[in-house]
Amino acid sequence: MKKFINTYDDMIEEMLTGFTAANCDKVEKIADRVIARKGAPFKDKVGVITGGGSGHKPAFIGYIGEGMLDAVAVGNIFAAPGVKICYDAIKAADSGKGVLVCIGNYSGDLMNFGMAIDILREEGAKVEMVIANDDVASSPKERIGNRRGVAGEIILWKVAGALAAMGTDLQTMKKAGEEIIYNTRSLGAAHSPCIMPSSGKPSFEIGEDEMEIGVGHHGEPGIKKVKMMSADEITDLIMEKILEDLPFMENDDVAVMLNGLGSTSLLEEYIIYKRIDEILRAKGINVHKAWVGEYFTSMEMGGFSITLTKLNAETKKCIDYPANAVHFVTK
Amino acid sequence: MKNIIIFDEIKDSVIAAVDELENNRQYFNDLDSPIGDSDHGDSVCSSFKKVKEAVLGYDDGQSKDIGALLKAAGQALIFSGGAAMGPLYGSAFTEAGKTVSGKSEITYDDFVKMWSAFAGGIGKRGEKVGEKTMYDTIRPAVDALEAAYAEGKTLKEACVLVDIAAKNGMNATKDMLALRGRSSRLGDRSIGHIDPGAASMYTFISTFFKSVSATQ
Repeated sequence: MKKFINTYDDMIEEMLTGFTAANCDKVEKIADRVIARKGAPFKDKVGVITGGGSGHKPAFIGYIGEGMLDAVAVGNIFAAPGVKICYDAIKAADSGKGVLVCIGNYSGDLMNFGMAIDILREEGAKVEMVIANDDVASSPKERIGNRRGVAGEIILWKVAGALAAMGTDLQTMKKAGEEIIYNTRSLGAAHSPCIMPSSGKPSFEIGEDEMEIGVGHHGEPGIKKVKMMSADEITDLIMEKILEDLPFMENDDVAVMLNGLGSTSLLEEYIIYKRIDEILRAKGINVHKAWVGEYFTSMEMGGFSITLTKLNAETKKCIDYPANAVHFVTK
Repeated sequence: MKNIIIFDEIKDSVIAAVDELENNRQYFNDLDSPIGDSDHGDSVCSSFKKVKEAVLGYDDGQSKDIGALLKAAGQALIFSGGAAMGPLYGSAFTEAGKTVSGKSEITYDDFVKMWSAFAGGIGKRGEKVGEKTMYDTIRPAVDALEAAYAEGKTLKEACVLVDIAAKNGMNATKDMLALRGRSSRLGDRSIGHIDPGAASMYTFISTFFKSVSATQ
């Protein structure tokens, strides 16, 4: 394994020290494993936070900033943060108007945040949770509640962050968050695994000429292993599954996020995006906003995910609303 | 036949179990690769490191309170264990600790009640047998302990039966369809692999019970 780290045990702490130093104008460490917006909590605004395992840069801490997140609870690689860290992150974002916790559908995250929220509610805090479950691969529609949260969570943060900045109340934000994630569907594919730093071993086994469809953001297996496809072939397959899942219809307005999982180049991504654009035009679906790049990686995994969100007039405003996070800017 | 376990023996048994988990870190990561994200060993060792810190940091100069020791481990797991292991094992240790509060030594009967509460701490988070989880190891193990006690087996004999039941429980997860956690998203692909959480639970139980058995 060749990674530029010092020791495995110091990895996360050193990363956070470097991150807060480089971005000291926007963020600060306010407790062990908790990074917050400078100046948080903000008066007269509901707080918006997230948390989860490391290894997904720029997620999660890269999304801290105006119009996006107020604080993040940081876990070890691919592992949920402990209850105290979740508690501290929620508190850091609470100016008294309450906090919306937007996390992915993973048992570790749900249990640790769940327990922290119980404690805070007993202390009188107003906290609500929205769970991202946009990954089409991880369960059939009949068990939609069991689906993983993947890059669609970023759309959730964007909408929640915008609504918070507009002065929206917590309950309205919770409903809007649930609705936007319901209207978001994602699916990915990968041809090479990420390398787990503790062992130097790959996160999954895959043949030289194979790819995995529906792989998770931690290298979890997905739907099936197939022979490597061309960009158009795999994009056609992924788009078909996403479009039929909601379903997305003619005349829908959508936001598209094409996300590199870590080692897939922008060159490849734009070839993939060409095909996404052709498919959507042919279906009469209008792209209101497109993001192409690296948004929610899995260390150095080779692959990509596509996220489609159906928008209405209100959520289009949220997508367009200014955001100035460390690694995510909307002008 | 002693049938009594003292504070130091519980403390040593917990530490022995934590050390054995660390010895198997990569094995657990490897089990977690085909049906998870290859980090179960890292997760469980990271969480149990907090247990060891709590146990070693417990000041037994004042009083050797087994309940307080286990509750300290439980609280450390809940608050800083993280991952799915923190809350689950945290609940287990805390509930177990409550049953033996204030005791510097415990009887066979206390021991059985302690382990029933340990399993209950995990069960109350909604875990059921047959879903391919850590519960598939602990539930049969505690059932075997309760049965051995009821049938008049010695504590030493019970430890052997617990180990067998736990091992069988772990192995049974191989052919189960995962209904909980990360592997529950894989459908049939989860079949044919032992659950890593069931395996680490087995390592924990078997090391602990072996250590206790040696004191009897």
